[in-house]
Amino acid sequence: MEVVETKPQITNIPETKIQPVEIEILPVVYDIIRSVEKDPIDNTAKQKESAECSQKVLELQRTLEASRNTIRKLQGIEHSKEEQLRRLESLRKQLALKQQLIKKYKNVQF
Amino acid sequence: MSSYHLSTRERLLAIVNDIEIVAKELIENTIAPKAQKMSSADHAQLVELLVLKDKELKSTLQLAAEQAGIEKNMDALREQVRKQDEEINQLQKQLKEAEQILATSIFQARQKLASIAKANKRPVSSEELIKFAHRISASHAICAPLTWQQGDLRRPYPTDIEMRLGLLGKSDLNINGHNLQHPSSLNEMHRNASAVTGTAGGAGGEIPASAPNQFAWHPSGELHMSMGSGGGSVSLDTRAHKDASQDDVEVMSTESSSSSSSDSQ
Repeated sequence: MEVVETKPQITNIPETKIQPVEIEILPVVYDIIRSVEKDPIDNTAKQKESAECSQKVLELQRTLEASRNTIRKLQGIEHSKEEQLRRLESLRKQLALKQQLIKKYKNVQF
Repeated sequence: MSSYHLSTRERLLAIVNDIEIVAKELIENTIAPKAQKMSSADHAQLVELLVLKDKELKSTLQLAAEQAGIEKNMDALREQVRKQDEEINQLQKQLKEAEQILATSIFQARQKLASIAKANKRPVSSEELIKFAHRISASHAICAPLTWQQGDLRRPYPTDIEMRLGLLGKSDLNINGHNLQHPSSLNEMHRNASAVTGTAGGAGGEIPASAPNQFAWHPSGELHMSMGSGGGSVSLDTRAHKDASQDDVEVMSTESSSSSSSDSQ
């Protein structure tokens, strides 16, 4: 986790760690494979099983779609991490420059 | 892997797609009849691939969480930058204002200095100025007398007769067809017309020789103007007129300004 440098003028934001989003697809897949492998012998159970299976397949699709939506809603991942860090640095520089400029012109003696 | 230039979002979505594909493969393989099933090695590989993809998904989600934290910092920084921008704009406005005020002040100061220098080149004594001011305002040509009431025939401006008695009136009378009146008869005319003795002509004594406009105080208290070619002096009545001369004025003048003067009460 990168450490935020504390510059004297820039107010430091207390770093609260953001918990990663939980996306669990594998359990659903396992479930489907298990129920397929169960393969009961008598017909009624088979029908019930295949019905359940198709339900689970639908659930898998729903899970995948939901995870895609969650990913799309996440903030801050428009760029790769390196790009983001570069932007952060340039933003800091911009802020420092502007503060310097203001300080310079406020203190100038005519 | 060539996906490092991609944004994290794209990577995550790609991983999810991959997981979907592999999972579908696995399930189809499980359902497929024995003849079409792939070898167990392949199956195992697929399973491994699926697990790998899941791990990759989790690590990328972790990365996304970190980036979200960085994004929060950046938002705060952007807010500070915006405040600085506002402050810079404000200072710029004030600087421009100050510059404008200073420029105006300097310009006006220069003008004042120039007029001071100009005045210093040709100084005039204050006594002389006061005398002239007194003379001009004595005939109520500037301001109505304090006791002025409605119906008072005096006017707070030089009346027609007074204008005719001036330099312009004297020099142009020949052109207009009126004859130049003899100075002495005028004196008599005004002496007859005026009833009030000079309260206005207060200043006694001669004007200093430096006055260019040939005014002179007569011992009687009237203001006289010396004529260049005609010789002698013409008296200028600085006292209140009476009705006769006023009626004369109203009848003779055809200019709108004079006629309006009689109307305005």
